[in-house]
Amino acid sequence: MTFTTSRHPLAAYIDRFYNGQSFLPDNPDNVKEVVGILESYGYVLEAYQENLQHIADREFLTIFPFFKYFNHGVSSNQLLKHLAHDRINFEYAEYCMKVMLWHGGGKLEEYVESPDFRQLIELAIQAKIKGNPIIQLLHRLFPEFLPEQVRQSVYYNALGQFWEVMYALFLNLGKAYDQGKITTIPEVVGFIKAGLVAAAGNQIVYAVQIGGKSYDILPQSANLTFLMDVAVPYVEAVFFRGTPFLGTVSYNAQAGEIPFEQSAFTYGALYADPLPIGGSGIPPTLLMQDMRHYLPEYLHKMYQSSKRQENDLLVKICQSFQKSMYCVTSAAILGLAPHDLKTNDPQEQASNLAYFENWMDRFLTSQLRNIQG
Amino acid sequence: MEHLLINTGWWIPCYGFLGALLTIPWVTRLVRRTGPRPAAYLNILMTVLAFIHGSLLFRQVWDHTPYHLVFNWLTVAGLELNLTFELSSVSVAAMESVTGLSLLAQLFALGYMEKDWALARFFALVGFFEGAMSAVAISNSLLVSYGLLELLTLSTYLLVGFWYAQPLVVKAARDAFLTKRAGDIILFAGVIALSSMAGSLDFNDLYDWCETTNISMLTKTLIGLALIAGPIGKCAQFPLHLWLDEAMEGPNPASILRNSVVVTGGAYILIKVHPILYLSPFVNDTLIVIGTVTAIGATLVSIAQVDIKRTISYSTSAYLGLVFISVGANWISFALFLLFAHAIAKALLFMSVGCVILTTNNQDVTEYGGLGKSMPATTIAYIVGTLAMTGVFPLGGFWAFQDGFKGFWVEYPWVIGVILLVNGLTTFNLTRVYGLVFLGKTQPKTRRAPEVPWPLALPMVFLTVFTLITPLIMSGFGLLPSLDDISLFQIGSISLSSLIGFAAGALLYFNPDRQPMKFPVLKVQKLLEKDFYTEDFYNNTIVWAISQLSRIIAWVDRYVVEGLVNSVGVATIFGSEGLKYGTSGQVQSYFFTITVGVGVLGLMVVWLFW
Amino acid sequence: MLSILLVVPLIGAALVAWWPGKTRSIASTVALAVIGWTVLLLTKFNLGEPGMQFVEDFTWIDSLGLSYKLGIDGLSLPLVALNSLLTWVAIYSSDEKVDRPRLYYSLILLLNAAVTGVFLAQDLLLFFISYELELVPLYLLIAIWGGQKRAYAATKFLIYTALSGALILAAFLGLAWLGGSNSFTYNPALAHALPLNQQFLLLGALLLGFGIKMPLFPFHTWLPDAHVEASTPISVLLAGVLLKLATYGILRFCVGLFPDAWQVAAPWLAGWAIISVLYGALMAIAQKDMKKMVAYSSVSHMGYILLAAAANTPLSFSAAMIQMVSHGLISAALFLSVGVVYQKAGTRDITILEGLLNPERGMPVIGSLMILGVMASAGIPGMVGFVAEFLIFRSTFPIFPIPTLLCMIGTGLTAVYYLLLINKAFFGRLSPQVQDLEAVTWRERYPAMILTGAIILFGFVPGWITRWSEPTILAMLQPPAIVATVATIPTLDLQP
Repeated sequence: MTFTTSRHPLAAYIDRFYNGQSFLPDNPDNVKEVVGILESYGYVLEAYQENLQHIADREFLTIFPFFKYFNHGVSSNQLLKHLAHDRINFEYAEYCMKVMLWHGGGKLEEYVESPDFRQLIELAIQAKIKGNPIIQLLHRLFPEFLPEQVRQSVYYNALGQFWEVMYALFLNLGKAYDQGKITTIPEVVGFIKAGLVAAAGNQIVYAVQIGGKSYDILPQSANLTFLMDVAVPYVEAVFFRGTPFLGTVSYNAQAGEIPFEQSAFTYGALYADPLPIGGSGIPPTLLMQDMRHYLPEYLHKMYQSSKRQENDLLVKICQSFQKSMYCVTSAAILGLAPHDLKTNDPQEQASNLAYFENWMDRFLTSQLRNIQG
Repeated sequence: MEHLLINTGWWIPCYGFLGALLTIPWVTRLVRRTGPRPAAYLNILMTVLAFIHGSLLFRQVWDHTPYHLVFNWLTVAGLELNLTFELSSVSVAAMESVTGLSLLAQLFALGYMEKDWALARFFALVGFFEGAMSAVAISNSLLVSYGLLELLTLSTYLLVGFWYAQPLVVKAARDAFLTKRAGDIILFAGVIALSSMAGSLDFNDLYDWCETTNISMLTKTLIGLALIAGPIGKCAQFPLHLWLDEAMEGPNPASILRNSVVVTGGAYILIKVHPILYLSPFVNDTLIVIGTVTAIGATLVSIAQVDIKRTISYSTSAYLGLVFISVGANWISFALFLLFAHAIAKALLFMSVGCVILTTNNQDVTEYGGLGKSMPATTIAYIVGTLAMTGVFPLGGFWAFQDGFKGFWVEYPWVIGVILLVNGLTTFNLTRVYGLVFLGKTQPKTRRAPEVPWPLALPMVFLTVFTLITPLIMSGFGLLPSLDDISLFQIGSISLSSLIGFAAGALLYFNPDRQPMKFPVLKVQKLLEKDFYTEDFYNNTIVWAISQLSRIIAWVDRYVVEGLVNSVGVATIFGSEGLKYGTSGQVQSYFFTITVGVGVLGLMVVWLFW
Repeated sequence: MLSILLVVPLIGAALVAWWPGKTRSIASTVALAVIGWTVLLLTKFNLGEPGMQFVEDFTWIDSLGLSYKLGIDGLSLPLVALNSLLTWVAIYSSDEKVDRPRLYYSLILLLNAAVTGVFLAQDLLLFFISYELELVPLYLLIAIWGGQKRAYAATKFLIYTALSGALILAAFLGLAWLGGSNSFTYNPALAHALPLNQQFLLLGALLLGFGIKMPLFPFHTWLPDAHVEASTPISVLLAGVLLKLATYGILRFCVGLFPDAWQVAAPWLAGWAIISVLYGALMAIAQKDMKKMVAYSSVSHMGYILLAAAANTPLSFSAAMIQMVSHGLISAALFLSVGVVYQKAGTRDITILEGLLNPERGMPVIGSLMILGVMASAGIPGMVGFVAEFLIFRSTFPIFPIPTLLCMIGTGLTAVYYLLLINKAFFGRLSPQVQDLEAVTWRERYPAMILTGAIILFGFVPGWITRWSEPTILAMLQPPAIVATVATIPTLDLQP
């Protein structure tokens, strides 16, 4: 049934939204895959966000954070496990943070570039480097060195806060599915949308303790909120833009494979090819590897019954993950829609349609078609 | 203790190989549930062991006549092939430089490649690389050196091909292997010829043979040319230089080693065989011509590059060109000085460049700007690397260049001109890159540029400091001449060439509102940008010729040879029908065929008997 | 002692054919027993004795002058060992659900016995009989278990090699007749008294016969066809062992029986070797089918052996021996890897295959083994291929400098075509046709892994191959030849 008059090549997907559906076709297998993978993603995000916030709080301007991945102190047992690489790959969380930092966007970026921010952090920096003449000299010679590190800490913290909400949401989704409360893809999308909307207005604040004193980095007065200032830039940076993977894209300047405009980047989670996962130069492999440890039993069984069983587990996880990210994106698109989809006001209808078409433009080269099968 | 140290000297390269072997559980993914980092730690541990072992050995061989280790590899039908190694202060120091730089590159890689799940394979290859390189340093036999060069060719192929799913990488790996292999095969011919003529491939025996041999000049020349072909490929000299450009597709930590250590390995072998080259003046002239063409040509090409890795890597070819000149002109100390200074400075530059790339996700110099404010370690590393490369007193490059003055002043005064020109142009280029990358306005991709994390910064800072104190260490060993021996003219001309290059670069590129510079003649710029169209040249000559030839031969095989042999030969016995029947798959038909065949044979036997 | 090597596989073949039970495990047990016996032979073999050892001699058919005479020396021992090893590898790597397993496995064991017979025979007629006998099982193995055009390929193979056999038989009969002997016992002195033109005639027939089997240009066309149609284990045997029958024959009979004529013909043979080497290499470059590429590389690499044989020095013979073993191991390893690729992907076309190194969906271990194999074939040091090539070129250079240099181009071209293969099939992104392959099991990897292990091992200690054959070779070629190679080289000059 057609609800829109759109002539967009992806108009069928706009219809789906009006139809109460989403990007992902609704069937029990998809529900199983998406919920299962989001649950394991929830566990991984829990570890990620804890570590990100730990680094932001405890390793603030530490020049050699040797033990930054040890949230709970260093013990010989943990050290051994760390050396055996029997651990969560926190590198991936940092990678996401860096992607977000590099692409910037939103009020958060504006704020960290503002003079107010500069003045605030100078206090923290001075407190931190007191009695360290070498760093003081460096700070003098390279005036942007420490502030840039602080901005990085801000993103550590902000992403940590974002994932703090998201992991709980995904774990709850898993629970709801286990209890039989969730059975369809639209319910999954609705659940996520509700979670996002509920947290939309959460304040993003960040302060560090130096010498027993608290220093504001992101104060209340900056008025940064969860949805618009962290979630939206995050989706933009990680889902859409991303960074080119060395394993598939040449950085050679003469080859000109990478666009000049960052806004033209299409290397994010919604575009990435799942096939090379597990190979060299593909950072999301780390995430897939982390999730394999937390797969719910039903999903694990589903993977094991496939042709290669566990042989291509990472690729299968990635394919499921991509599906689930389309659900999250669906939720975000629905949540950000300017007007109620059932509105009767023609002007509102037109603006809704323009909103959707605008989104669809960005999905033209994405993996959207490949997740339909 | 002394004997133990000497006799175990050959272990040092083995640590690297052992490290590579130890990664197998992770490379083959026998270990799946946990990550690959233990493989990296094991390799680093092995390199540390190699470094410590090497330091102990160095104390033993310092100020001592060289020790020799000889292993019989194969004795067959009167031919004795030995693997010989020489442990002298020079060779062990070279080996220490290899393991030291390898250690730093591996530590750097641990940070640079932290997001790469194929870390184990990378470290396996680097371990292999290091093993082969350190063995080259102590090899005292052309057989061993040749073998190691081939191993380096293989590991270069695999390292450049590390990201094998990326299309340009595939091409780069292929070209790296084939160009190097082309040089290697010619070198192989030289090795075979020398082995046949001199009877032994130990360098000492070869040197003795050179004194007494009475082979003709043509043979001497051919052997000499064959011997330099291998190093031409390894050191990326014209006309086999193409691969180094493409090899920049590989991971940056490998580029650090490739541009500092591996090219040096090729030159090291050239130095080892130089007494044989002197049998023929033509070979020396060839060396000088190739070296000069590469030194000037590659420097010009480097100035026209927009890719940050490539612009630095072309200057590697250029510096190695100077080394070729110095070997051709029989002034080896300049070559050794320059190789050492270049290796360290280039490693440092590549570390810095790696940090820039990692932070900005970009390699295009025109999209950089303003990184100097927020990246102190990277900026300082770049500056120190540049100073050490470009003849600035009192760093490494300066000492190398002043040694060149001594060597070339009498016989080849024009070479000094080449050195100064290359130095000036290199300074200009490095200044240009500095201006574009670290100064000027920030651009979108350099807007957010926090300094790299400590696993990258630490080895880089360490190497920065080491580069700065290298002259002190060298003078501690009495390797540097006294300042009184250096004329004001030498200091003046070296400094002036650097200064002119710097001033020109600064003038053009330190301006915050700079425009991308265009050469006065656009065609020239294009020519340099495209590296004199070398790639197109190869595609249209050798590659084309071989593929056409194989196509023609395939046609001949299909329509001429097969038809002719079939029809003239056996097909007449059975008739062409015999070849076509029997798709039925019945056993009877097979036996029928055999019966007929054997029957015909029987007839022939009978016919022959009568 | 030696008869056991023939009897065990023959009994095994009978057992497999009629004994109820698991054919495959019986066959592989028999193959292992043969390996065991070969190892025992190796330990008992007297390295100081250049002549035949463990000789067994019975008169068989007196009227024909045929006697059952077996013996083993340095020329045959490494090849017997290679045959034993590869037979087991072939059985192990056979499809577990192969059609008509009884016939299949007994034919392989029969083939093993026949090939061993060829290497052991000390009677010319016995040699010929074994040489012909080996055709039958191989023909059937290709014709029954081959690919689509198997009948064509098998028949072609049969015709070519039968002709090869006929020529060899003609030469043997002619030799006995002209030499005035009433028995066919192998006797190097037999041809000495013959005038040179008669020697040439006989040598020509022998050369042609072995040249077809080896194969040399222009008689090679049966080989690629046979390889393409044969199943993997049969290709392993064909490339690994069967081609060595011809090179063994050349060393043993062409040089052994007609040394004078050989000496005269040698420069021409070197020229023939060049053509074969370069032709095979250029053909390999033009191939799209992985198996054909490996097959043409065999044509190219067997040419080196002719070059070494033409040089006719102890060193060159040792080099030829090591090249035989080297080529046997390397080509077998390559065919095994290609076989796995074909079995999983259903194609060997390098224009279709892509990205097989992919660790999740591809076959990374097979890819790595393949890379090692092609590198060994291209003569990268640390593997046995390098030793073989080095010794061949080192030994032939003083005799034929220009042909040696031309053959070295073949080595360079080996790198070219194999690199194209690796780059196209294993690098890059998995192509759509091969994104959903079955996983490779460790069982399928073991055979190639074992052979690769041997390739690397002998690359480090090549003496473990050359030691067996050196005394025999030194004794076979007269002392003057030895002096000539070792002492007079330094004065050699490239100038005409």
